[in-house]
This record gives sequence, structure tokens and C-alpha cells, in this order.
Amino acid sequence: MSRLLTQIYLFEEIFAALQAAFPDETWLVEAKPLDDTFITLPPGRLRPAVQLLMDQFDLYHLSTITGDDTGEEVRLLYHFWSGYGLTFCVRLPYTALSMPTLTDIIPGARFYEQEVQEMLGVTFEGLAVTGPLFLPDDWEGGYPLRRTAERV
Amino acid sequence: MSKITVPIGPQHPLLKEPLAFTLTLEGEHVIESAMRIGYVHRGIERLCQERTYVQNIHLLERVCGICSHIHTTTFCQGVEGLLGLEVPLRGLHIRALLCELERIHSHLLWLGVQARNIGFDTIFMYAWRDREIVLDIMEDLSGGRVSHAVNVIGGVRIDLTPERRDQIMAQLDVLEAQIETLLGVVENERSFQARTRDIGRLTTEQARRYCVVGPVARASGVDIDLRRDAPYPPYDHLKFRVPVRYEGDAWARTLVRMLETVESVHLCRQILTALPDGPTAARAKRRVPAGEVVSRAEAPRGEVVYYIRSDGSDKPARVKVRTPTLTNLIILPDQLQNISMADVSVVLSGVDLCIACADR
Repeated sequence: MSRLLTQIYLFEEIFAALQAAFPDETWLVEAKPLDDTFITLPPGRLRPAVQLLMDQFDLYHLSTITGDDTGEEVRLLYHFWSGYGLTFCVRLPYTALSMPTLTDIIPGARFYEQEVQEMLGVTFEGLAVTGPLFLPDDWEGGYPLRRTAERV
Repeated sequence: MSKITVPIGPQHPLLKEPLAFTLTLEGEHVIESAMRIGYVHRGIERLCQERTYVQNIHLLERVCGICSHIHTTTFCQGVEGLLGLEVPLRGLHIRALLCELERIHSHLLWLGVQARNIGFDTIFMYAWRDREIVLDIMEDLSGGRVSHAVNVIGGVRIDLTPERRDQIMAQLDVLEAQIETLLGVVENERSFQARTRDIGRLTTEQARRYCVVGPVARASGVDIDLRRDAPYPPYDHLKFRVPVRYEGDAWARTLVRMLETVESVHLCRQILTALPDGPTAARAKRRVPAGEVVSRAEAPRGEVVYYIRSDGSDKPARVKVRTPTLTNLIILPDQLQNISMADVSVVLSGVDLCIACADR
């Protein structure tokens, strides 16, 4: 079976499993260039969806977490990969910039969550942070990747 | 026994780039460690939003010195995906040629650093001498030894004549013989093995949980390589092996990198032999249609990921760079636990730190 066909079939299985687990919800699914699929889901569904990927499909490789301030909200993109890309997209309003941590199920998420926390001001509940990651110890310039951040 | 705190970094002979560790020792054993990165954080992601896509190629090449070409390759690949642009095959082959040459020079640099860290200066000298062959090839091709500025959106800006191709093939023959000698040392030399065997062991399960990538993952039994598993042209029709070991120690990592270097030489030969005729670049529009893309490539240290979002203008709305070193750094606190102080250098260099990449 060609790689593209394998990807399509496996993705259909994953999406069917997600729909079966959350039957009352409709999530936006978009195909993106270069073999990636974006699924937009509510913030509260991220952890169960990730747990499903890991338990049923052995999909554990989190490439990174992108934080993106669009000007209207902060989007968090959880990029997974297993031969093809699958990205979970979570949209957070400015008034509710908080997500539960994934570090207890994916320890490798720690630096990514910490970076989003210090660059965009999203709080990850349950993430143990001992200090800044990239920013200096005496940084007082706010959250550098926000649209409203000033040039230093 | 009383405890002593030893700082390593941000400036230290062991470290080629600034990174700070604070090790707490009891006698000769490390019982606790703390790590601080961010000394070379330059805010590259924020800077990308204020530059055009073309200017960003120049900026992103300077994220890292050793793996500069793979950064621009991944970025250009992403932008070409957003533009729906088909890059001519000749351009893709030349891009891949430089990717593989970069892999060879990065691994040889690393071998020298690893050897130096265990006191084996002879191998450091030999590895860096052999690396000069690769740097000469890259300088002949692009004009730069380390920073090549070869990628443009739509392909590459350089080309090679049949004479230059034959010259590179001859240089690769010399290089291969030298690499085989170095591989023999890694496999057989007892003092090298005594300093690296069973040091810094990372199990397959730990590698998966930490989402480790690259040679560190492959040395721990995690068989992933984006060139084979998510093949971007021309890798989809090139034949190569992906070395995987299961010991998970510093010796396995050294062996995996050396075997990869040998495979990269073979890949360079295949690319040069199969180099198709035609143009090297397609013309790209200045404004990129609105959209988002995740671009991945296999850097010398593992998976490098770029997320690019375009708002329809000539400047990207968001560029996210995730380099393999940032992923692999997360294993260091575990690795430094309960080891002898003498092994700290081997553990640190085993991860192949590229802090400029990690900090951006």
C-alpha cells in the first residue's frame, strides 16, 4: 500500500475512534500541506484525545506545542507525528489562558509547555516550573510572543 | 561525606556553547543536577514576524552554525507547501546533497568533541582534519564553509558542472576511507570503549516517553528517521540504511552516528549519480497565500519541525522552530543522576548539544 494511502486509512481509523469516544461533538478537521491534518477541539477534550491516541494507536510522539497569538485568541497547536502529522488545535480566549499539563502522560512535553507559558502567558495546571526557561532571570518585558508585546 | 556543588558553565571547556549545570556531588558521585538554558536566546521566532519570507531565510540560517542548511531547507519546504510550488528535481537533489554533507560534517565535529571530552585528542585531530574535506566541498559548491546560503524559496541558487561532480566524487572516496578508519576505532579501540560503554544509558521506554529524536533515539532502539518514514524528495527514491542499536549508552550513540556518516557518504554518491537535468529553482511569489503548514526534516541531531502560518502578506504571521536538541536536553537531568564526575563529560556530549539551536 502506498504511503499516502496508508496515511489516509490510518487517519480514518483515528478519526473514527475519536468520534466514537466523543459522539456528541463535531470537530473541525482540516488537511494541511505536507501531510498534516489539523483537528480543532475544545480545550477540555485535549487530554482525553491524547490519551486515546496513546492507548489505542501507540501514537506518543509529540513533536512540539506551538503557541500562536492571532490577535483574537491564543491558539495552542499540539503537533503529533507517527509517519504522518496530526495536530490538535485548541483555541483559548484571552480571559481563559489555562490548560491542564500533559507532562504526566508525556514527560517530553515539559519544555514545550514551559516555553508557551513564559512566551505567551498560558498557565499549564500541574506543570512544575522552577524558573524561566529561555528568558533572563530578571526579565520584566511581559510575554514576548503576544501581539501586544513591545519591542525591547 | 560532605556535599560539594560544582558549576559547569555557562562558560566551560567541556561546553562549546553556553549552558549552565549545577552539580551536587557526594565524593565523586553526582547526586543532584540543575540545568539552565537560554543564554543564547535571541528571540528568533519573534524576529521572523517582522521580516519577509526571503529575509527570514537569511535569519533562520543563523539559528545554528552546524545545521544551518537543514533549517533553511525545512523553512523553504514549508513555504513551498503553502505556495503549492513544485521545486524542480535538480534543485531538490542539490538541497539533499548539502543536507547529507552537513550531516557528515556535523557528526565528524561531534566525534572530535566526544573524543576530546574523554581525553582522546588524536581522534579529535583526525576527525576535524577529515571534516576539512567536507568543508572544502561545501565551500567549492556554495562559497561558504559553514553558512552556505544555498536555499531559496523554490529551490537552490547554485548548480554544479559535471567536472565539479567528478571532483566531489573523488573527494568522497578519500573521505570514506578516513571515516572507515574512525569507525574502526569506535568499534574496536579498548580505551574508547572503556570510557563510553554502559555510560549514560537510556532505555527504549524512556526514549519514547521523552519523545527523544535522532541518533540518541536510534541508539536506544527507537527506529525513526524522517528521511525514510516521511520521505521528502529525493529521499523517496534513494536507498539507505538507518542504523539502530539497543544498548542506549554513549558508545551506541557514537556507533550510530559513525554508521550514519558512512550512509551519508553513500547517499551523496547516489545523489550525484542520479542528479537530473533541468532548472534548480522555480519562481516563487513574494506574497504567500493565507494558510498554515508543519514542515519536518531530519537534521543531524534528529527531527526539526517548523510551523509556519501565513496571513496572505509577504511576512509570516507566526514561525515556530522546534530543534532536536531542545527535545533531547530533557533527558540530561536523569542521565546525570548517580554517575561519576568523570563520566559527566561523556554524558553531556553524548546528547550532541547544539545550544544555539535549542535556545534560538
